[in-house]
Amino acid sequence: MNKKLNYSYYPGCSLHASASEYDLSTRELFKTLNIGLTEVPDWFCCGATPAHNVDELLSLSLCAKNLELADKVEGDLAVACAACFSRLKFTQHTLEENMTKRKQVEKAIDAPLKLDGKVKHLLDILARDLGLERLAAAVKKPLSGLKVACYYGCLLTRPPDVPNLDCAEAPTIMEQVVEAAGAETVAWTHRLECCGANFTLSRPGVVIQLTNAILESAKDAGADCIMVGCPLCHGNLDIRQKEIEGVYKADYNLPVFYLTQLVGLSVGLGADKLGLDAMIVNPLPLLKEKGLL
Amino acid sequence: MKKKKMIISQETMDIDFVRKVEALADTSVRRCFQCGKCSAGCPMATFMEHPPNRVVRLLQLGQWRRVLEGRSIWYCASCETCSTRCPNKVHLASIMDALRKLSWDAHGPSKEGYVQLANKLFLQNIRTYGRQYEMRLAAVFNVKSGQFLKDLMLGPKLIAKGKLKMFHSKNKNLPEIEKIFTRIAEIRAKGEAL
Amino acid sequence: MSRIGVFICHCGENISRTVDVERVAAEIGRHPGVAFSTDYKYMCSDPGQTLLKKAIQEQRLTHVVVAACSPRMHEKTFRKAVEVAGLNPFLCEMANIREHCSWVHEDREEATVKAIDIVGMMVERVKKNRVLAAITVPVTKRSLVIGGGIAGIQAALDIADCGHEVILVEREPSIGGHMAQLSETFPTLDCSQCIMTPKMVDVANHPKIKLYTYSEIELVEGYIGNFQVTIKKKARSVDEDKCTGCGVCMTKCPQKKIPNRFDQNIGMRSAIYVPFPQAVPNTPVIDRDNCTWFKSGKCGVCQKVCGPGAVDFEQQDRLVVEAVGAIVVATGFDLYSINEKPKGSAIKGYGEFGHGKIPDVIDGMTFERLASASGPTGGKILRPSDGKEPKQIVFIQCVGSRAREKGISYCSKVCCMYTAKHTMLYHHKVHDGQAYVFFMDARTPGKSYDEFWRRSIEEEEAVYIRGMVSRLYQKGDKIVVMGSDIAVGVQVEIEADMVVLATAIQPQKGADTLAQKLGISYDKYNFYSEAHAKLRPVECATAGIYLAGACQGPKDIPETVSQASAAAAKVMTLFSKDKLEREPVVARVREAGCVGCFACKKVCAYGAVEEKEIRDRQGNLVKIVAYVNPGVCAGCGTCQATCPSKCVELDGYTDEQIVAMIEAL
Repeated sequence: MNKKLNYSYYPGCSLHASASEYDLSTRELFKTLNIGLTEVPDWFCCGATPAHNVDELLSLSLCAKNLELADKVEGDLAVACAACFSRLKFTQHTLEENMTKRKQVEKAIDAPLKLDGKVKHLLDILARDLGLERLAAAVKKPLSGLKVACYYGCLLTRPPDVPNLDCAEAPTIMEQVVEAAGAETVAWTHRLECCGANFTLSRPGVVIQLTNAILESAKDAGADCIMVGCPLCHGNLDIRQKEIEGVYKADYNLPVFYLTQLVGLSVGLGADKLGLDAMIVNPLPLLKEKGLL
Repeated sequence: MKKKKMIISQETMDIDFVRKVEALADTSVRRCFQCGKCSAGCPMATFMEHPPNRVVRLLQLGQWRRVLEGRSIWYCASCETCSTRCPNKVHLASIMDALRKLSWDAHGPSKEGYVQLANKLFLQNIRTYGRQYEMRLAAVFNVKSGQFLKDLMLGPKLIAKGKLKMFHSKNKNLPEIEKIFTRIAEIRAKGEAL
Repeated sequence: MSRIGVFICHCGENISRTVDVERVAAEIGRHPGVAFSTDYKYMCSDPGQTLLKKAIQEQRLTHVVVAACSPRMHEKTFRKAVEVAGLNPFLCEMANIREHCSWVHEDREEATVKAIDIVGMMVERVKKNRVLAAITVPVTKRSLVIGGGIAGIQAALDIADCGHEVILVEREPSIGGHMAQLSETFPTLDCSQCIMTPKMVDVANHPKIKLYTYSEIELVEGYIGNFQVTIKKKARSVDEDKCTGCGVCMTKCPQKKIPNRFDQNIGMRSAIYVPFPQAVPNTPVIDRDNCTWFKSGKCGVCQKVCGPGAVDFEQQDRLVVEAVGAIVVATGFDLYSINEKPKGSAIKGYGEFGHGKIPDVIDGMTFERLASASGPTGGKILRPSDGKEPKQIVFIQCVGSRAREKGISYCSKVCCMYTAKHTMLYHHKVHDGQAYVFFMDARTPGKSYDEFWRRSIEEEEAVYIRGMVSRLYQKGDKIVVMGSDIAVGVQVEIEADMVVLATAIQPQKGADTLAQKLGISYDKYNFYSEAHAKLRPVECATAGIYLAGACQGPKDIPETVSQASAAAAKVMTLFSKDKLEREPVVARVREAGCVGCFACKKVCAYGAVEEKEIRDRQGNLVKIVAYVNPGVCAGCGTCQATCPSKCVELDGYTDEQIVAMIEAL
């Protein structure tokens, strides 16, 4: 019998707000798979893109402090949000390589740094720690006939030497996970292109243009829906989808699922435990049509 | 559009500034041989007056004012495509971070206001609340940027879906966060960090 | 009592800029044993050498120290001058005050003091130099050429035409190498096959050339003038003496769908095959991995249809030993493979170009096969995916080259020119098509080269775009090229029908293993190193081994042929004498003290240490001692440092001399 997996958990700000369904579905899925998840008490914002954009030292210090908090909880650190994941990995990478910055950060958080704790995205935990075989064995309702476009965006794989989650140019980890859940995946061209991320607040016009190209590519490839592992990508693809359809006179109607929602569905979790009602593009007609609900 | 002639001399090439960029970004500016691969793959290049390769070129010539006065650095999405594909391992995404920081130190000569405002509010939120609350961020941004009606249609829908929380609990680590902000300010005042 | 002459060189300003040469001459003049000292602007020049010779005679000098550049540069020059003046050449030493002093220091005072120290040390050393006589070794006037591409062919023909026997060894079933794969050649656009195949036939018919194809070098022993080379002749499964080259076996072979590597895997061949119709020798080989007989013991059609009974399934690999006096290494290049590489590999791939996944993204050599009249499409430019003629074709330069992030920082030198050629060939064959080239710099030095590149733009209407490509992806039956034009400062998007990547040149796979067998040095990319970048460009540092072609660095055909002829000339220089004189700076064993532990034998990289029996007058064995074969010894001194009983010493570098040098400080 395999030892029970246990993780400390850093949800990130979005999962406590706009991406609450990602948080909910993550907790429910892990419970079902018998994986322990303990939220880091009083974690705070990693600084996300705005912090490293204008003040890298602040960004590194905020992340380093959060890593220190996470160290007090048993297990590797599980991170759901691709942006938080990227910042935490960047912090470990930078402070291991650059001694000047390391000293500055140690002064800023007034503590010696320990960088050996492992930071893992949920995908890594499902595909490698749990393993695809055990994941597939836990599937009760395979997502048969559902054609999924896996969207990686920027921060899960780039730059190649930092997140080390998968190959930067031809990753397959998302496809592997959702295929283990019984779904089909489509080959499409824009799975690694940028959606405009946090420009959603300051320059929504940019986001609309970039996100449209992504939706168009997924639709052209024959996808029924999109799967993401990042609340920022989700916000742009899901929340802004209607608006984009208006601007570009298009009809996409592509539900945008978090990976935990789709995998959760396959292990038998109900709509209420996956927060499907929180999605702006209604997924229920698609799931009913495919006999998945 | 009129373009100023570039007068090049040892006096007009500010190499100290470039060294600061290189220290902050932990990468080399001189390594770039202007192949343009960064600009080819940049999702934001069409919104920039100086495409990414030209930002590096201007730095090679020590012409930082031309870079900081423009909007290019504020339109970088930090998607890391440039850093990933650069044949010379010039970490351009980090250079962009460094430039934005130095632009703030120089009190923001750029014409680009919205992105800077959003960043400012974001950082203020961390200092005050410890976490981001998107509702508050969006509302304050719209007020401060004078776009009261921006994304008006999205708000109610998101509230109905439980996506915009109105209330939040107090983070126990707030004093620690405040200390990080003040310590960083002290380190910089002492000249121990850029 | 020694009367030493010291000659200080200014080296133009190279030394005198930082070292006060007059002061060095004056101070060294007071050194015990120094009878004469002077300085001069260029000691290596004719007046400089005359000054040296005159001083030896007039001052009755017994030893000479020339304080100048590195001995690697001019030791031979000055020893020759000393010999002309009547002294033993090995009583002349050089003190290096350029590389070791003036070039690496800035402070004039400190550099001058250091120069005096360096010269003083050499004076102490030369005092204890012995008179040495050159060692002579016999020369076997046969040579080995490794690699049957254009470099190896040219070198072999030149040497053989001089009347010396040549052993030409080629790994593939046919000679011809990469040049045989090319369609037309820049800058004159003559057909590669047309200029190549006559030379291949010349090799086959030359009475002085012995050809080993489908063969590899197994072992190299010996030294300059006296190498023994073991060659492995791989089992061809066809008897070369019986086969008439009629080709019936190939037409009857039922296995016909095997990708042909010669055609970059876009053409097919049978299991018994010659790589291309003009192959030399025109003797087929059985690819045992794909042959039904070797896989299942059934079939055997080729053997049944072969009139002369040449097919031999029982044939085994066999080893042949050849004695040669010189070796020309001409192993050529391999193409950088574009795809993702395994983790941890020093060289990385280009995932963003989708090569291997998008069928119509091909490399430059594949385009050569498409354009070649004898290629799989008969010279028509057709897409591998659907056989349609591409109307929009994009070429991308510097794929792998000049990309330190991918592990290769050098320029591959030939790609700018061959891409220009490709645009021309394309324009000649697809009149209504358009070629685009993404490039960084056009590097076209060479006779008529830049004119050729300009012609591709001005007359053949290729559109050159200065900027690189970030990514390629398939969209319907088009390939979207995401590029940029840095001159305009905008992104460029082209929907192409086909994309050709100008991939980097790398040394052949296994180049390092062969170098280790030969005992020659190579750089971090596995390109072989020449003895001197400027003055000894075709010789290896290991005596008797010469380089030709792209195994030494990226080269085009004209340059390769020039280097091959130069290497052949070097071999002929060696063969012009019956006996070879070697530097006598070799190790000698003091037999009385040697205890026969053979620690020296274990560390000798050149295999120079032998076992020698010492017998008394009655013929009884007294002991076995070490003996250094002066013909093989390279004078490296490792044995001297290793010997526990201090019984091996290298002439000119004895312990006594080293101690004297240290004491001079």
